[in-house]
Amino acid sequence: MISLPGLNLTSAPPELLSDPQSTLTRTQDLSANTEYRFEVAFTRSLTIRLLSGTAEFFGTELAPSSAYTFQGTKGAIYTWHGCRLEIVGEAESEYTAEETQMMSYANAHFALESLREKSLHTGDIGPRVLVVGTENAGKTSVVKILTSYAVKFGRQPVIVNLDPRQGMLSVPGSFSAAAFSSIVDIEDGWGSSPISGPSPVPVKMPLVYHYGLANPEEGKLFRPLVTRMALAVTSRLEEDRASRQAGFIIDTPGAISQGKAGVYENIEHIISEFSVNVLFVLGSERLYSDLTRKYSNRIPEESVSVIRLDKSGGCVHRDETYMKQFRQAQIRAYFFGQAGDNALGPNSQMVDFDDLSIFKIIEASSEHNSSFRPGGGGDDDDAYSSGIEIYEKVTPSSMIQNSLLAITTASVNDGQEVIRDSSVRGYIYVADVDDLKKKVKLLSPQPGHTPPNAMVLGSFPEDIPGLVG
Amino acid sequence: MSSHSAEVAADFKDALQDLKLNSRPEISNLTIIAKENTEHAQAISRELETHIRTTRPEWKLPALYVLDSIVKNVGTPYTVYLGRDLYRTFMDAYVIMDSGTRKAMEGLLKTWKQPVPESMDARPVFQPEVTRDIENALIKFRTVAVQQQALSQRPGMQQNMPARPMPNVPWGNTPTPPQNVPRFAAPNDPRVRQPFPPAQNYGQYPSTGTPPVQYPAVQPSPQPVSSLDLEQLKTDLAKLIATTKDNFASNPSNVSTQAQLKALLGLETILRTQTLLPQQLEQIRNQIQLSSRPTAPTPAFAPPVSAPAPVIPSPQPQPLPNFPPALAQLLANTRPPVPPSSTPVPASLSLADMLRTVTTPSQSSSAPPSMPSFYSHPFAPVPPPVSTPVLVPVPAPAPAPAPNMATPTANLAQLLARFNPPAPTPASSQPVPLPQFLAQLPPAPPAHGSAEWLLNALKGFGTSGTPVNSTPVASEPMTRQASAPKLQNEVELTTASMKMPRLHLISRLYEAIPNICVTCGRRFESTPQGREKKARHMDWHFKVKDPDAAKRGIHRSWYISEKEWVEYQEVDETSPDQVSNGAPGAAAVVKKATKDKYVSVPDIALGRAPCPICQEEFKDHWLVEENDFVWMDAVKVNGRIYHATCWEEYSKGAGIATPSTPDSVLGKRKAEVSTPASGKKVRAY
Repeated sequence: MISLPGLNLTSAPPELLSDPQSTLTRTQDLSANTEYRFEVAFTRSLTIRLLSGTAEFFGTELAPSSAYTFQGTKGAIYTWHGCRLEIVGEAESEYTAEETQMMSYANAHFALESLREKSLHTGDIGPRVLVVGTENAGKTSVVKILTSYAVKFGRQPVIVNLDPRQGMLSVPGSFSAAAFSSIVDIEDGWGSSPISGPSPVPVKMPLVYHYGLANPEEGKLFRPLVTRMALAVTSRLEEDRASRQAGFIIDTPGAISQGKAGVYENIEHIISEFSVNVLFVLGSERLYSDLTRKYSNRIPEESVSVIRLDKSGGCVHRDETYMKQFRQAQIRAYFFGQAGDNALGPNSQMVDFDDLSIFKIIEASSEHNSSFRPGGGGDDDDAYSSGIEIYEKVTPSSMIQNSLLAITTASVNDGQEVIRDSSVRGYIYVADVDDLKKKVKLLSPQPGHTPPNAMVLGSFPEDIPGLVG
Repeated sequence: MSSHSAEVAADFKDALQDLKLNSRPEISNLTIIAKENTEHAQAISRELETHIRTTRPEWKLPALYVLDSIVKNVGTPYTVYLGRDLYRTFMDAYVIMDSGTRKAMEGLLKTWKQPVPESMDARPVFQPEVTRDIENALIKFRTVAVQQQALSQRPGMQQNMPARPMPNVPWGNTPTPPQNVPRFAAPNDPRVRQPFPPAQNYGQYPSTGTPPVQYPAVQPSPQPVSSLDLEQLKTDLAKLIATTKDNFASNPSNVSTQAQLKALLGLETILRTQTLLPQQLEQIRNQIQLSSRPTAPTPAFAPPVSAPAPVIPSPQPQPLPNFPPALAQLLANTRPPVPPSSTPVPASLSLADMLRTVTTPSQSSSAPPSMPSFYSHPFAPVPPPVSTPVLVPVPAPAPAPAPNMATPTANLAQLLARFNPPAPTPASSQPVPLPQFLAQLPPAPPAHGSAEWLLNALKGFGTSGTPVNSTPVASEPMTRQASAPKLQNEVELTTASMKMPRLHLISRLYEAIPNICVTCGRRFESTPQGREKKARHMDWHFKVKDPDAAKRGIHRSWYISEKEWVEYQEVDETSPDQVSNGAPGAAAVVKKATKDKYVSVPDIALGRAPCPICQEEFKDHWLVEENDFVWMDAVKVNGRIYHATCWEEYSKGAGIATPSTPDSVLGKRKAEVSTPASGKKVRAY
């Protein structure tokens, strides 16, 4: 993935709300058990207010008097009891759907809830849930619904995101985990990681690792990081009684559900590392059948309940353009927060080339999509055993302009595996590289020195041109 | 803040004590004191509450006007502090007032439900929950009052009542005494609600009188063989419901009608959502036919009364020939204007106390939990030999005697029952103390009336004949309690099980936690703990609403490390102590502490060097506590002054300990948080 400075600039989407926007106010009545589905472009906004009844956005209830503004969102407002909404703004598409899968998702929640009640008595870890399914099957939506309902029940589940395509409480390209004890934000995806001031929605405290690639098959990072994440989450559950009893829910990328000849190595790896005992398969019959076969005849202590959930009719295909904009919005939100009252002020600073120790992920087959790789799984079984080069150290050059660097907790002199397994303190953005003066202009989330730790550069998320004005 | 706070509060108290009239200058003066001392809002609010509680009755109203003026003109934080205990403040005063003052108080309450006049803010002065509790209590209060009124209006007993044209029709033939209807049952009067759950606007509770929208979109359940019968049954049931509703509308205070209506609606839900066995259908049909008969079998009540539906005969119609005059007098006295005096009529007071104890705020809005025991003895047969209940000196806080009567509604029902002696009351000269009397009541005798039967029957259905469903749908509204029955094994973890509709479980996400935060949609249980949590939650909302935040330049914090995360304890904003352990309720709290560090403005000789880290100038700030100009958010390290936040960020990265300001930081934080509210109308919710 080569980027030339300035080349990408033309493709930058218009970020301004300069288009004339209809401010048509309308009311939408929903009868019970229906949902209002909408898609809003990144350049537009849609404001929804609940006038009467009850309504929820992926499980999180809309407050009766608040207006929620959506931008670049494909979402749905569901109602169990019927409601009236006031809608302002223009949606790319909107309609009311009567056939939804909410009942089965709610059932899934109640089923998990009985496991949580059991673990309250036994003291064991609560349900350890993995959600798999192909791209755009609604995995993250289901995870969100299960999370919101659990929180509503006063539980504190740990949510793990292993999908690099979209970040959770962090930027894309990262893996993160956080215990949710407060409501999931409605407007802002999962919510926000801590900021230096008050936040109108309680912030969540994530643990973040940097993966830095788009697809889990590539490279020698995915499984080690899954192992590392499992270790951290399990340790957390040892300490944290509330989360222990609530268990955890893992969101995954669609790519691991493709499998090779009915073998899903990455899924199996996650199941064994996290000791998953509830496996929700979204949509795909074949995946469900394959996994049922694999996990049906296990000894009781290691049994995995494989449950198929129907894909919601509201799942839409999110094309690469949308996903790219989505990722850019996530990165922008990391530095600048949400527009309006909750804006953040990142810090721009110049540093010398020598101040940065950048480790770039080596992608052996970066030219090929991994699924074309011949031979399949056989050769990368011990790909991450020691001695393998994971990173190469690079000096700043115009090549890294517009890219995102992950500041790890590892020191510069640590071994490559230590760097790989260390969590991330935050991200900085390379706004400009001056080859002559050997200076780099950085955008850092906060003022003060950038920690002198090892920084990791991956090919994902892709460059974000024009993040700094 | 404590000592200073106490001084301010003492001043405020002095000023309050001089307030004996509804005097505008005095009230606005007090408002200004409150406005200028928002950092002591808590102390001032407490003072005001105490004053309202303890002052002489005729001085309470002006004090309430002060409260009103403060919440409207200053707003937060007073709305938060005063809102917490508003129920008590208001009701304590209300119950001992004369009716003129009560009217004025009702007027006040009305304005609290609306936005502040001329304010941009569309939110009501107090949160709807706060005012709703009071309103519910007032409705109960009025219900009791009207019962007394009804009694006192008996021929020959209307000493203080305005003469009304009395219908010539013998009362025994009318289900309701006519004077009840126009005054209290105007169907579109928003204030008139059942002494019942406020229904939370979901149209879920059958008792609201509107057709409930319970689970309309349920997939049509497989029709049983006798689908024709079922249709017929449904029609019959609908008719019966309509009749009962009419009945209920004309006499909303009749609890048994309510019970019956509720049961019928429950039955309707069952018919709609479940498949029943033919025998069960048969049983239901029989019962409906029985219930539809014009004359109701009312074994417990001696004189049979004909009513359109099997309503338990309205008690009022009974002539009360030998009602002791003393009682009548007293009853009459409780309602009509009593000259304001510091010693209210004892009966009124004890009644008021009674009412207060049965309707504590924590429970009044949470009626559902109280329902079960309520139903177990609607109008429990009142032992006949009691005719002079009010004459009895009742110890002020009447202890709830029997466990099954601990719920407010039950007590209220008893209370009502006692004011409506059902049968010609045998005169008795033997007054029984009220609590003792309540204790004597049989725990839960199987009461008469079809409502009871239906409820029992419904409970039976739930457990026996539900092929689709393993939980009783019908008993749901009654068993829906804070301690909801466990879900244990209810929903199996299988693919097939996921597809079964279990709409009854949804109530656990909504009705079981009825107390919603209007700002963010978080829900709380309607238990005392739930209320406490919510109060803290609202405080938190207030705290994070910092209008100066944007100016300070907020930025994203670094993520915490693996080790920190593993050991991290999530801090809920509703937990009692949000002390800073690590990064509670957001790192924000810690950050705020950092920001409150300050150094005195250094000598000019040293120059006004900017912060070496961010290169920004420091601003002079007058700090009252120090009596000096200071630089806020500053620390002195090795002779140089840095922004405390900058230094913290820097030192975190480099692992240097941050020197702490010697002064305690936490106390001041509070003060700082509340200052932005002063001067202008900032509202937290």
